[in-house]
Amino acid sequence: MDSLGAECTPLKHKYDACFTKWYSEKFINGERSNDCAAVFKEYQACIRKVLVDRGLTKMIDDARPTIGSVFAASADDRHADADASAKK
Amino acid sequence: MRLFEASHVFKHDWATVSLANWRKYPNDKTPHVRHVEILNQEVDETTGVLRTERLIMVRQNVPALVRKIFGGDTSYVLEYSEVDPAKQTLVMQSQNMTFSNLLSVGEHIVYKPDPENPAHTIFTQSAQLKASTALYRFANKIEDMCWNRFQDNAHFGKLGLEQVVSVILAERQAMMVSQVSE
Repeated sequence: MDSLGAECTPLKHKYDACFTKWYSEKFINGERSNDCAAVFKEYQACIRKVLVDRGLTKMIDDARPTIGSVFAASADDRHADADASAKK
Repeated sequence: MRLFEASHVFKHDWATVSLANWRKYPNDKTPHVRHVEILNQEVDETTGVLRTERLIMVRQNVPALVRKIFGGDTSYVLEYSEVDPAKQTLVMQSQNMTFSNLLSVGEHIVYKPDPENPAHTIFTQSAQLKASTALYRFANKIEDMCWNRFQDNAHFGKLGLEQVVSVILAERQAMMVSQVSE
């Protein structure tokens, strides 16, 4: 499946492949290793930029409490969102 | 407010079904799911629980009236999930973000082994559909339409998951054959 941002698709596919292998061979058997961290960091940075460009980060931050997400907005995103709205 | 509830037993073990859940999209049964992005993902070092946050972009074919009321047919959904490999549970909670002031759809999904047959997996799904009172007399109609669409999507979602399970099983088979022939 392609990424929302075409430029992130190769990284997304790389991460999906890594995650699938790790999940089925290690995680499911109780191993807590973090094999895909490096590629995830790259993919995450790419997709975060897409979310900022499309003005989606605030909507996501607002929805987090309703689904019980433990994740919080990164400081980078908040600044980027402020920058994006400042430009408008 | 309308509630959608459904459950289903997949005749495959939890490890396989939970993997299929991650590989579910794309499949040709659910073309309305256009993009799925992993925004955050981590394993809790103490508990071993995998936590994931995903952004899902959906594009539905909807009647012109609905498109007019909602201002489009593309919507974003945020999903948070926890997988506990020790307890063999996968729990997901999601919420639509687009048009949520008009129609709120919150969904809760659980995958766990069938207590009566651990080789099978029980899937339970419940969703709360709530149209805004700002829609007045359309509110009930919108909830009904959404409920029907939800039921259709749930049906095709199950078929899609089964399809992905078949792919996983075929891959395992192929791997075993190649190992034997080596």
